[in-house]
Amino acid sequence: MRIVVCIKQVPASTGVSLDPETKTLRREGAEAIMNPFDTYALEQGVLLKEAHGGEVIALSMGPLRAEAALREALSCGADRAVLLNDRAFAGSDTWATSYVLAAAIRRIGEVELVICGRQAIDGDTAQVGPGLAGHLGWPQLTHVCALEESGGKSLTLRRMQEEGYDLCGLELPAVITVVKDINQPRIPSLKSRLASKKAEIPVWSAADLGVETEKLGLAGSPTRVVKIHPAPCRQKQTLLIEGEAAECAQRLVRELRSRLLL
Amino acid sequence: MQRHIDNRSYQVEILPPKQSSEKLDQDLESFASRYTRVLEAGYCACLTDNAMGHLAFQGLELIEELSLPVEPEQVMIHLNTFHTKEGLDQILAACRARGIKHLLVVSGDGSERLPKLSPADLGAPAVESVTSVELLGYIRRQHPGAFNLGVAFNPYEPEEHEFEKMKRKLAAGACFVITQPIIGNHPLLERLMEEVKLPLIVEAWMSKKLHLLSECVGYEIPEDTAYDPVANLKALHAHYPGCGVYLALLGFKSQFPILKSIWV
Repeated sequence: MRIVVCIKQVPASTGVSLDPETKTLRREGAEAIMNPFDTYALEQGVLLKEAHGGEVIALSMGPLRAEAALREALSCGADRAVLLNDRAFAGSDTWATSYVLAAAIRRIGEVELVICGRQAIDGDTAQVGPGLAGHLGWPQLTHVCALEESGGKSLTLRRMQEEGYDLCGLELPAVITVVKDINQPRIPSLKSRLASKKAEIPVWSAADLGVETEKLGLAGSPTRVVKIHPAPCRQKQTLLIEGEAAECAQRLVRELRSRLLL
Repeated sequence: MQRHIDNRSYQVEILPPKQSSEKLDQDLESFASRYTRVLEAGYCACLTDNAMGHLAFQGLELIEELSLPVEPEQVMIHLNTFHTKEGLDQILAACRARGIKHLLVVSGDGSERLPKLSPADLGAPAVESVTSVELLGYIRRQHPGAFNLGVAFNPYEPEEHEFEKMKRKLAAGACFVITQPIIGNHPLLERLMEEVKLPLIVEAWMSKKLHLLSECVGYEIPEDTAYDPVANLKALHAHYPGCGVYLALLGFKSQFPILKSIWV
């Protein structure tokens, strides 16, 4: 099975702050990491490959420094990686990004499954996976939390819902997005990390993909950010419960129940 | 471990390079250099296991990948509960194959990226989650007599709770004890020495980074507190002449060269 896993390099959430003037994210100096949800997508791809054979290709669109995230993917079990980099891609929204990624997947060829993380922790849109499915014309399943059956030309998957699960059959080729419950991503070994440093990662441009330039970048992105404002700060409240142990326990239970936490 | 104390041999902590390192080659070189210096000085190299929950490479894979020598008496591997069962078994098998005997078994600091051993993994279905006690028991059962197992003692935890835990660690097979960092002296160590007749190693905090020390000891030490790590090390030798010393965050440029003149 040829599997493509989409990887995004994002700033670590602890390294990002909000510019009070512009109300935009300050990413400068923040540590760049692989989007945490993508680590689960990658692990699922590698597990499928280990079970059924085939290969896993890590695919990312971004600046040249995003190569680091792809090398990490290689050290975690991806067989090869491709970076999509072109000035024309800069400023792309999720529609334009998924358009470019879809073009790359067609170029890779014979792909049976695309796995994405649920969402990226910087944009939080969760739109690229579904966008990819739309551009490719493939079925999709989002919020996948377990793989029940694999092999052949279909998958049986569990989709997380707010109050339970859906058990879904999915014909391949298809796109899925996964949540954290699906697996425990492996930690790369030193040997694989050192090997990943030597790997050659091809960089594909807009011309390589044969994409329509008017559908790229800011100009090709239908999304318009009209206004950005910070979310209200969470109000922390400390409740000190004093008294005899039994009384305190009763009061604690009452308080938790009143907040629907028990 | 008593031999280390008798020979005045320090336990020197060496932090493996982090997984997130952006200068891995340099970090590997630095690790190899520190490890080699520690062994050549006759000390024991203590390799941490994802210390403070930060993802780092494993001590054994570093030894193997960098072709570092192993002197069985001079290497100690830290082992915590944040592994897969398969990973744990591989580490233990590799330790045996390399002749490594000393393991410091701790519960450890987890992180979202690290797996956690389950009670079923360690054959301890009666507990809700595993600690160093279950891990000790597992190692003893699976590898009887193969390892010299150490445990941690935290004098900053509530006293009775910590001594109760120590009893369980002893019952599970602990052979030596290493404390959390001690500043000058700590009254609970007297009781520990009375009740636990095992080789005791006190930890000396060799860094001036007091915010990290605060995290270890569990109370806030103001950053502007005057703290002389070398003076503290000398104070520990004076207070605990029968104990070994574990050097945490040792400075290899300025502090390592003077160690021989401190514990003579």
